[in-house]
Amino acid sequence: MNVLHKKLLRGLWRTRGQSIAVTAVVFCGTACYIAIASAHSNLELTRDTYYAQYRFADFEIHLERAPITSLFKLEAVPGIHQVRGRIVRDVNLDVPGREEPSVGRIVSMPNRQQPVLNDIHMVSGRYFSEASQDEVILSERFARENGLALGDTIFASIDSNKYPLRIVGLGLSPEYVYMIRNIQELIPSPERFAILWVSQDFAETALDLREACNNIIGRVDSSVEIELVLDRAEKILESNGVIAKIKKEDQISNRFISDEIKSLAVTAKIIPAIFQGVAALILLVLLNRMVKRERSEIGLLKAYGYSNLTIAWHYIEYALVLAVAGSILGFLLGQWLANGMIQLYVRFYEFPILRSRVYPDILARSIGIAMLFSIAGAVLAAFRAVHIHPAESMRPEAPRFGKRTLIEGMPMLWRQLSFTSKMIVRNVSRSSFRAVLTVFGIMMSTALLFLGYFSADAMTYMMDFQFSAVQREQLKVSLVTERGKSALHDIARLENVRRAEPLLEYPFEMRHGWHSKDVAVIGMGRPSHLQKLIAEDGSEIDVGEHGLVLARRLADDLGVKPGDMVTMKSLTGKVEETREVVVSKVVTQYLGSSAYMNIDALSRLLNESFAMNAVLVSTAKGDERDINLSLKDIPGIAAVSIKEDMRQNLVDTLVQNMLFMNTMLMGFSAVIACAIVYNVTTVSLAERQRELASLRVLGFTQIEVGRILYRESMMLAVIGLLLGIPAGMAICRLIVIAFDNELFRLPYYIDRLTYFKVVGLITIFVAAANWAVHYKVQQLDIVEVLKERE
Amino acid sequence: MGEVTVSALRDVSLDVWEGEFLVILGPSGSGKSTLLNIIGGIDTPSSGVVRFRDDDLSEYGESKLTQYRRLHVGFMFQFYNLMPNLTAEENVEMATEISPNPLPAGQMLSLVGLSERRDHFPSQLSGGEQQRVAIARALAKQPEILLCDEPTGALDISTGKVVLEALDRVNRETGTTVIVITHNASIGEMGDRVIRMMDGGVREIIVNEVRKSAAELEW
Repeated sequence: MNVLHKKLLRGLWRTRGQSIAVTAVVFCGTACYIAIASAHSNLELTRDTYYAQYRFADFEIHLERAPITSLFKLEAVPGIHQVRGRIVRDVNLDVPGREEPSVGRIVSMPNRQQPVLNDIHMVSGRYFSEASQDEVILSERFARENGLALGDTIFASIDSNKYPLRIVGLGLSPEYVYMIRNIQELIPSPERFAILWVSQDFAETALDLREACNNIIGRVDSSVEIELVLDRAEKILESNGVIAKIKKEDQISNRFISDEIKSLAVTAKIIPAIFQGVAALILLVLLNRMVKRERSEIGLLKAYGYSNLTIAWHYIEYALVLAVAGSILGFLLGQWLANGMIQLYVRFYEFPILRSRVYPDILARSIGIAMLFSIAGAVLAAFRAVHIHPAESMRPEAPRFGKRTLIEGMPMLWRQLSFTSKMIVRNVSRSSFRAVLTVFGIMMSTALLFLGYFSADAMTYMMDFQFSAVQREQLKVSLVTERGKSALHDIARLENVRRAEPLLEYPFEMRHGWHSKDVAVIGMGRPSHLQKLIAEDGSEIDVGEHGLVLARRLADDLGVKPGDMVTMKSLTGKVEETREVVVSKVVTQYLGSSAYMNIDALSRLLNESFAMNAVLVSTAKGDERDINLSLKDIPGIAAVSIKEDMRQNLVDTLVQNMLFMNTMLMGFSAVIACAIVYNVTTVSLAERQRELASLRVLGFTQIEVGRILYRESMMLAVIGLLLGIPAGMAICRLIVIAFDNELFRLPYYIDRLTYFKVVGLITIFVAAANWAVHYKVQQLDIVEVLKERE
Repeated sequence: MGEVTVSALRDVSLDVWEGEFLVILGPSGSGKSTLLNIIGGIDTPSSGVVRFRDDDLSEYGESKLTQYRRLHVGFMFQFYNLMPNLTAEENVEMATEISPNPLPAGQMLSLVGLSERRDHFPSQLSGGEQQRVAIARALAKQPEILLCDEPTGALDISTGKVVLEALDRVNRETGTTVIVITHNASIGEMGDRVIRMMDGGVREIIVNEVRKSAAELEW
């Protein structure tokens, strides 16, 4: 070890507090990057391999009923190169030993195993045998959650018949990586939703679709425009009642994973930039001070013949040591976090294999980034060291000129200030870079905190909105087909039912000008007590006699406002003609984007006097389960969903996730705020030791002297807060915009308490950093400091 | 490497009278600065007793010593130790802010003949002017003791005399006890008493029958 290395080690030791702060920031940045980038690579790779291996379809078309022969016509469409007709339907599922019914989605598969689109990954067991018709391959997670094993039997209620199905295999599919029934669920409830892969023969018989299908999946050439292909396909299938055509990117499961992967990719870019940037800025302040302090030493080294390069390298090395130390520690935490994230993903996503791995390229990149940033932070100091002239360096530095500041132009105000305040104002203007850095750091830290709290606030608000303001029912009963009023009375008569209201959900194509959209239109009874429409100003509104009420997003997509007319055409083949309907109002909707209409008016569009296919039920609290049990035996019921279960499921998972996210963000925010404030104040203290010591001699107490430093950082923190809050709000708004899609919108909502929490936490962070500096103030040796010549 | 105890002062016994002008003379390393620091309450002796009136300073803790400095002591240094980013007047105000009965900063500056330069920063003042600001700052608190550590050490003769004259006047007019430490023997002639120090001990105490004025000094 040469002398400079010894000097480096001593320097590191002497500035250990600051060095640790820099290392901590690098550490957070690296840990975050490793965790997120690894999770990103892992998910992306796993998804892509899975999709390729099991032939995930590029599009899916839901229809009423199409003969198998229509598939040939589709295959002839240029661009389409593989199609498969399937039978898909949600049915009620009775699992022996489980009280509440679950929902099973029947998905037909070829009678004999062969490579097909949206194939099954067999986890255990076997494919269907030729001989028997009552075999099912069950989604593996559902079996696990419900303690079902190969050989067990479950019962599917299809059109008032109960079919026993024997479990012969457990499987997974690229189609159901994120297993939710519909967008309203948002989060999987794996114990209540199953995929039932059954043989084509069984499906055709049980669902009465002989030689036909109600779901077509296919692949297209990557060179063609999928929209055009789907439009052609829709024309061909016109008479078969196209309910919805879904591109791969809109497929629910794929959408969720791909959004997650995309946001990981973005985060992996932003997070290291923030942290390493902060580390570089702290290094800049720290090393500049160090070079200034070591001026005469540097001069001496030069006088003895050390080269500029050696000396410049000495300071760069200081930065590199911290960067590498932070990276290595960060890698360890990052790998641990990556593992935690994968565990989280395993709970939400059904992949055949999802394991945490070490990615050497990510590790190398992250160390590289940390080193680059640290060099950037050190380079100015190294430059200054190079420019020190040996002869000059032995003389004291020319005195700094006091400068008049802006406030002094206002003598009235200036005279009001105490001497401490004057000192602060002057000092801030003297070391304006450090002041800006502090403000910037606090701003960053505030924005990060804000972000954490915002996501919790927005989610809570959205859930309250959805489950308390909009959905007032306890249960929703979906019927297999459209029924008349009698079905409503059947349910209303059940014990414990307080109120039952009809609902008619029907798919339409809506057109306005050149805009067109396939929409589920919801017919509501009047008055509607169990489902509310909330206008954008927050007031409840009535659906009205006629006319459409549209979700804001849908109105925007169609380019309509109240008073405009839209053309509606039923997507199922029943009613051929198109109708013009006026848009009456626009409402707020966060989950999905629907259209609402009076149920009578909607029925008339379908040439019926009254039709309904779902019932909303309210009960006394706690009675949901009893009703659910009695509903189990009523024929014609497709599915029952209990609102409280959905809500609870959401709350459980979201609360856990958010706790995790918030803790992380809070930690990061604390590290940034503390590291910057601690370093800037320490440097400031070091630079002004002499001044502060003289104050102590004059009879200023430790606290009074400290106060000059703390007030300064508190004042800068206040500015940082004042800038950070709007910055945080702006970022939240951007997130709201980024999340705005047909499936899901995030409300821009920030709880009032959040402001207090953010201000309180930042105050704590800054106070903690100052408290650490106060120790140094206590250590200040007055006699020693004053002995030295300036 | 452990700490090695180096005694700066040994067996020093000394009385300082209220209102006297005391000059402590000695070469560097003689322990005069340490003595001054102990009297001023910024250092404490490892053994022995330091009394200020009826109180034992050597038993004071950190905060009591701070109070002592704040209420009774004014300090001046060889290198002035002004706040570089405060103007002359603000440097004086700094002291008035913590004192229970301060004199107005403006008045103090005119006392040392610097009212014209009140809005200048230390870097815009000459050494002598800076030292006069330091006097004004030290006196603004109306201390009972004024401690001066080589007050002319960084100044040329004529400026040095101006500073010493100011100290002399303060002592005569306000009765403030003034203790000056210096290695400049001729300054001793303006004190009531001169203490010569050597190797951490008091070598000799000289009582001047007649105090010379600063103008009469020569070195």
